[in-house]
Amino acid sequence: MPFVVELLIAIALVISGIFGLVGSFGLIKLKDTVQRLHAPTKATTLGVGGVLVASMIYFFAKTGNVSIHELMITVFLFLTAPITANFIAKAYLAKNTKPDELPGASGDFGWSIYDDPPGSDKAG
Amino acid sequence: MSHEGYLLLFIAVLPFVGALVPGVMIRAGRTACASFAAVPTALAFILLLMLAPSVMRGEVIQAELEWLPQLGLSASFFLDGLGLLFAGMILGVGLLIILYARFYLSHEDPVGQFYTYLLLFQGAMLGIVLSDNILLLLIFWELTSLSSFLLIGYWKHLPEGRQGARMALAVTGAGGLAMIGGMLILGSIAGSYNLTDILEQGDAIRASDWYMPALILILLGAFTKSAQFPFHFWLPHAMAAPTPVSAYLHSATMVKAGVFLLARMWPVLSGTDAWFYIVATTGLVTMVLGALIALFKDDLKALLAFSTVSHLGLLTMLLGFGTQAAAVAAVFHIINHLTFKAALFMTAGIVDHETHTRDIKRLGGLRHLMPVTFVIGTVAALSMAGIPLFNGFLSKEMMLEEASHTYWAGSAYAVPVMATIGALLSVAYSLRFISHVFLGPQRDDYPHKPHDPPFGMWASPGLLIVLVLLIGVAPFVADGIVATAASAVTGAELHPHLKIWHGVTPALWMSVAAVAGGVVLLSAHAPLDRLWAAAPRPEAKAIFHRLVAAVVGFSRWFTEVTHNGAISRYLAIFTLASVLVGWMAYRGSGLPLPTRGLLPVPPVIAVGWILLIAATAYVVVVHHNRFQSLVLIGIIGLMISAGFVYLSAPDLALTQISVETVTIMLLLLALNFMPQMTPKESSMGRKLRDAIIAVAAGGSVGALAYAFMLRDVETISDYHLANSYEGGGGTNVVNVILVDFRGYDTYGEIIVLGIAGFVIYALMRALLDGPAARRLRTLEFGYNISKDRHPLMMVVVTRVLMPIAVVVGIYIFLRGHNQPGGGFVAGLVIAIALLMQYMASGFFWTQARKKIEYHTLIGIGVVIAGLTGAGAWLYARPFLTSSYTYVHWPPIEEFELATAMLFDLGVFLTVLGAVMLMLYSLSRIARYAGETVNVEPMDYDPGERAEEKVEA
Repeated sequence: MPFVVELLIAIALVISGIFGLVGSFGLIKLKDTVQRLHAPTKATTLGVGGVLVASMIYFFAKTGNVSIHELMITVFLFLTAPITANFIAKAYLAKNTKPDELPGASGDFGWSIYDDPPGSDKAG
Repeated sequence: MSHEGYLLLFIAVLPFVGALVPGVMIRAGRTACASFAAVPTALAFILLLMLAPSVMRGEVIQAELEWLPQLGLSASFFLDGLGLLFAGMILGVGLLIILYARFYLSHEDPVGQFYTYLLLFQGAMLGIVLSDNILLLLIFWELTSLSSFLLIGYWKHLPEGRQGARMALAVTGAGGLAMIGGMLILGSIAGSYNLTDILEQGDAIRASDWYMPALILILLGAFTKSAQFPFHFWLPHAMAAPTPVSAYLHSATMVKAGVFLLARMWPVLSGTDAWFYIVATTGLVTMVLGALIALFKDDLKALLAFSTVSHLGLLTMLLGFGTQAAAVAAVFHIINHLTFKAALFMTAGIVDHETHTRDIKRLGGLRHLMPVTFVIGTVAALSMAGIPLFNGFLSKEMMLEEASHTYWAGSAYAVPVMATIGALLSVAYSLRFISHVFLGPQRDDYPHKPHDPPFGMWASPGLLIVLVLLIGVAPFVADGIVATAASAVTGAELHPHLKIWHGVTPALWMSVAAVAGGVVLLSAHAPLDRLWAAAPRPEAKAIFHRLVAAVVGFSRWFTEVTHNGAISRYLAIFTLASVLVGWMAYRGSGLPLPTRGLLPVPPVIAVGWILLIAATAYVVVVHHNRFQSLVLIGIIGLMISAGFVYLSAPDLALTQISVETVTIMLLLLALNFMPQMTPKESSMGRKLRDAIIAVAAGGSVGALAYAFMLRDVETISDYHLANSYEGGGGTNVVNVILVDFRGYDTYGEIIVLGIAGFVIYALMRALLDGPAARRLRTLEFGYNISKDRHPLMMVVVTRVLMPIAVVVGIYIFLRGHNQPGGGFVAGLVIAIALLMQYMASGFFWTQARKKIEYHTLIGIGVVIAGLTGAGAWLYARPFLTSSYTYVHWPPIEEFELATAMLFDLGVFLTVLGAVMLMLYSLSRIARYAGETVNVEPMDYDPGERAEEKVEA
């Protein structure tokens, strides 16, 4: 395997390692849920992404075939991580914030957690 | 197999085939039903007569079909003299009974059913007397118990009928169980389950240490069936059956099965002291006791029932004597008893049918009203009494002759005196049957004005008394069949000559004494009857009921203690039993020394292991908090999956991780409806006890695994590894094991999985009809439920993920045969893909969009798997043999097609259906908890607004 390739793989792995570490450290260090939310989402996206890039380069260099499994994993991560973060944030809101503490919603139907969705029986 | 062998098979099968018809054609009327029952019986009888000449020449006709050769069980039949005699009796009397029952049963009775039961019973009896394999004989033996249960309980509306049937089944069934043990012992002594082989090994069997247990167990079977003391009590209660049944069961068939067995086993088991003292004594006691009770019974059928008990005792005693002459007498008496007893039962039935009562005290003086019945009844009863010129006299003389020179425990008088007393009582009750029913003054208080029945009803008993007279006057006509049958019983060439006059012998004097004493006894019947009624006697029925109640009580107590509805108790019993068995195996095994050392533990693995242990231990601490436990269980599952990956088991890892995902998702859904904490209800002591059990079990399993891993053990894995590609056409050994090597297992497992899905569905349905539903309706869930149940982002993402997940599922399915994957994992992956939709858009919105019911999916899966397996039959291969080939379609690379893949498709569909059905069941709770149904897939669809704007 040429040195350049090995270097690329190493860089990708190191980046992923740093982000993974920072993400985990943040999970412990940051104060409350909303702040902590940032840490793991970064770790999953860039941290895992680095490993996947490294893996793709490695297998391409080794077998000559482009491996797209990693891309699939990336797609899954990109799709699921935001949703997870969104849900954690909502859960935090539902648990810790009262409706009257919130500023008025700019849309027509209020806050999604507290106000009934449009079209439902209870929507006023 | 010879030409005659095939005929024999036909004979054995005919009644069972015939039994299918009458039950379904009752609308055609009683006569049609009777005809269709008579045809197979008559046919079998004719076939039997065709075989008779060769059997009479001393040939033995055999027929054999392999059934389960591994167990030594084959469907083999043989016909020798004894079999011919009994088969002839069963079929001949069967025909007469079919005719008689046609007239006896009324319009209201389900006659079709009756004939079906009768033919079933007939087939079972024929099976007993024709079986050449004792395991087959046992099967037919149990079949007679079952079919006689149906016949005795035929009048379902009568409590006596049901009780009598139950008692007969309990007693004969229990005897049958004992006999199974005896027969198995016998078979293992002889080294074969074939009767013909066993019969040749009499000396070896009698010399064996296991002779006594085998003898006692087999005798238990025979004695219960033949109603020998102290098991005689079921027979009179079986009289609640319709009279044709009583006539058939208690003259020719059911109760004679025990006697048949004694005769059949005679060459093997008889000739020892144990045989003589057990069999002859039981027979003697039964004969005297039965006759004594019969004398004081007022119910006609009860009188005949106890006389049957008595005569069976006589037969048993004769076979118990163990001499050839006694065996000849027994065979002859079997024929004679059949003729007069069947006729008597039918006579009693006619009397009952015409006068509407069977109570002797309400009868009398019927000779002018029912002359034909009077003649039939009198001839038969005189034969039963043993009066000269009737056939009963001949065999009774032979019995007394044998008894007169039999010593019992050194006494020359015990047996002759008792036998004479038995004969005397027999004369008394026989004459009572004649005089108290037919003689005496005509009465005017019969419940119904009696007259002779139509010809069809008295034809059968009429024919029988012709036989009674014929044999009585010219006994040599029976020479042939008696010689053949007796030779078959004793295994020696016998040529008995039956004749009326034997000269002035002790037997003649005993006979004279019996008749004279009988007449005297009958004349003193009235005062004796009062004495009898006043005397305390044990009531067999009450004792039996107390016994049954005690057994039921014990069983109930045992069940309630071990099976009290608390799953913790079941688990404790199961776990402790497993640990105990494991411990015993360990103690008895002598474990060899370890041959392997410990492998090094890499740090990463150690971290994973610590995580696993910590999570497990923490579950114990926080298990009251349901949600936290679930999170911890998730960690454990992930660690186990990682362990599988590390230990080169990618298939297991894949399965484990998908199972984990599905489990956690389903559990999360369920948790939604449960309190967050489980209640604390266990005391400290209970916790300690459970902890001990848990640690013992877990520690044992751990120790077992550890012990195995330290030793080189030869396993079946090598075989699987070597044959996976060659034999199964797949390189993924795990998958080939699942769908090919152990495909039958997998087939069973998917069925179980499907059933589990249905059970959850059914349980939930039952649950939601009960108090749980009320509690759910009033339960408040909404304390922190977000209002956006179907958030836009989530819905969109799951829609995007759906096709990707499905493609992954298909990919995993297709590559399963050669690489990690397969139907099970694929089913789970697709289930997860669907679960996501359910979670995002709500259960009922999604449910409305599916095309196939999950119930159907499970069914289709099982059927596909089953048909794939059965497909192998078309190529004359065993169930689930798989086949494979390689196909090359350009531009795709060459790929493999295996039937195993179709099987895997069945697995896939069943798994998918079962998981989704479980989800469906859980989601029904939500509806009960007051969840509303959404019409739109998501709460707020910005796309809609955009459309509206465009339209505007």
